[in-house]
Amino acid sequence: MTRITGFRSSAALLAVLMIAMGGTPFRPAFAQGGAQPEPAKLLEQADLSRNGWETYEVVTVIRNYQDGELKDEGSFDTYIKGADRTLVKFMNVDVKGQYLLMLEDAMWIYMPNTRKPIRITPLQRLLGNASNGDVARTRWAGDYDATLKGEEKVDGVGCYVLGLTARSEGATYNRVELWVRKEDGRPRKAEIYLSSGKHYKTIFYDSFGTVHGRLLLTQMTIIDRLREGSTTTMTFTGYTPREIPEKWFNKDYMEKLR
Amino acid sequence: MSRAGGTPDPGTGTFVRAGALWTALLLCAGPAVAQDLDYRISAVDEATAWRLNSSSPFNARNLIVPQPVRGNTGTVDAAIGFGVLSTSLGFTAVASDIQRPDYRFDVRELALDLSIGESWDLLAGRKILKWGTGYAFNPTGVVEPQRSPSDPTDRLNQNDGRNLVSLTGFVGKSSFTAVYLNDAEYAHSRLTWGKNEIALRLYTFIAGLDLSLVGHYREGDRLELGANTSYVIGDNLELHGEVLGKKGTSMLYHAILGSEEPAQEFTSFPYSATADGSREIFCKLLAGGQFTFNGGLNVALEYYHNQEGLSAGEWKRWMNFVKFQDAVQRGAVAVDPALVTPSRLNLLWSLLTLSPRGTMRDYLFLRGAYAEDAWSCEAICFMNVADGSIALIPTLTWKASQSLSLYARYTGYIGSNGSEFGSLFTTSALGLGIGVQL
Repeated sequence: MTRITGFRSSAALLAVLMIAMGGTPFRPAFAQGGAQPEPAKLLEQADLSRNGWETYEVVTVIRNYQDGELKDEGSFDTYIKGADRTLVKFMNVDVKGQYLLMLEDAMWIYMPNTRKPIRITPLQRLLGNASNGDVARTRWAGDYDATLKGEEKVDGVGCYVLGLTARSEGATYNRVELWVRKEDGRPRKAEIYLSSGKHYKTIFYDSFGTVHGRLLLTQMTIIDRLREGSTTTMTFTGYTPREIPEKWFNKDYMEKLR
Repeated sequence: MSRAGGTPDPGTGTFVRAGALWTALLLCAGPAVAQDLDYRISAVDEATAWRLNSSSPFNARNLIVPQPVRGNTGTVDAAIGFGVLSTSLGFTAVASDIQRPDYRFDVRELALDLSIGESWDLLAGRKILKWGTGYAFNPTGVVEPQRSPSDPTDRLNQNDGRNLVSLTGFVGKSSFTAVYLNDAEYAHSRLTWGKNEIALRLYTFIAGLDLSLVGHYREGDRLELGANTSYVIGDNLELHGEVLGKKGTSMLYHAILGSEEPAQEFTSFPYSATADGSREIFCKLLAGGQFTFNGGLNVALEYYHNQEGLSAGEWKRWMNFVKFQDAVQRGAVAVDPALVTPSRLNLLWSLLTLSPRGTMRDYLFLRGAYAEDAWSCEAICFMNVADGSIALIPTLTWKASQSLSLYARYTGYIGSNGSEFGSLFTTSALGLGIGVQL
């Protein structure tokens, strides 16, 4: 049985090395000087704000509010390796021992009382308005095709507006409109639509912080458009680059994790 | 352990060699294995009131197998992990008579789990392993403890692990597992070995499809071969299936199944493996799926077929026999008084045909679940397709805090006289429970 633990000292060392090597998270990836930016590049740029490293660990705290009142709170340790592998460890006492695994387009949940991984869909809710995919799928570029729809200001900040349509089966949502800041490619806002066309969620990418020399998303807010007054915040702390064994992302290994 | 004369017990050498092997493996265990203590404790107490089925042919006047009408079950389960060692300790207190509660302590699981390098894992001890993809039924769950489809999550922690040694190799998105099992028991200072079992599984994830091939052989029984799979379509729909087959079966069947004459009494144990030499393929099949609505409602539906179960004709013959014995016990038919006691024994024997996982061949399972804030509700419907009888189990849960939850669980058995669920010992049960997690 493997216990999941952090390798914080090596992570710090890695961060120092990256800073020493001059690594910067937001190199301009889109065209300069008035030319139209490439939508795919904008999407990759937006992804960088949640994925500072190829393999890393981050703590996600989800708070669910109804009419401004805190109704529920959950904490999750998230282990991410590459674009298509994520392991989520549930930390709350009532769901202790529970794991969510994302591999390519597929997701499984392991619950200690059922003792086996169960295949689930990305749309199933994890907590509040946050779907499994909101926690486990952290990259837009692999999941969506993007088109540039124009430019708009959000809260006075100039943004490109991207239209995203799901490319992979595992994409959390069918259709997304994404606003990315012209200045540095960070995401600012997303509107989520169901395949029926119904407006499902609005997501605001609220704050970013510098972690190990990289500017990374630290909080986002999800507003449920189907349930009035329902809001969920997701905060991300403890970003730590680390090596993660390959077998942790094998479905059969889930029962051995703790 | 050695014999009185000092001659080593033949088993001693085996244990010494096994000990040396374990020591070597422990020394080779991967450094990634941490030695931190990890625990999860859950306690559940459930008070239940049952309504007896006065027309049940199995239990005339509640005298054949007396059933309680009120009871309380309390369980504490402590899952503890430390380094390569994991265990689950269970304590159960059952009281149908509050003056005379029955206590039980179980080592539900106790196993060593070693990572050998990056790719191999060795597990040895008592452990619950589950291999199926189904929710309520698992034909390919050949290594798992028997459980009830009416309680798929084992809410009272009643399932125990099995004694096994398992070796698993991980290669990318695939894995290979070989398991040796033996339901050996140690009691009264004596170890009694069970039958040897071997199970193999090859699992892979390819093009979005979960696919496992399973093989299982139990000493003296048939080789079973099967497969299970699951797949997700779009945002909402998950599909899964399992199949397991074997040639012939060593399942024991009541002699009355081959007779049209219900008014008879057997003087010796009436069960035998009548299909032992059969060349027929006995197949267990599961097809199911779950759909999650955009509002959060999750609905799961499964169809289960078990060729080892009773056909409608066999059920009818068996039920007519049971009804005859019931009539004898109730005094509804006139028989020689000397036959009343053997009739009672025949009725008890006949109950061995009943299985909590379904006695007949075809079943439907339907589950709906929804959660909103601190409230969650679940409704399970387990239906015998042949006679239309159902077990209906709605549960309402209120989570008072992250550590404390309260629930109410109703079980209703609905069906005509002589149907599977309409003939059970009880017609309904209401349970009120409290769960604590630490």
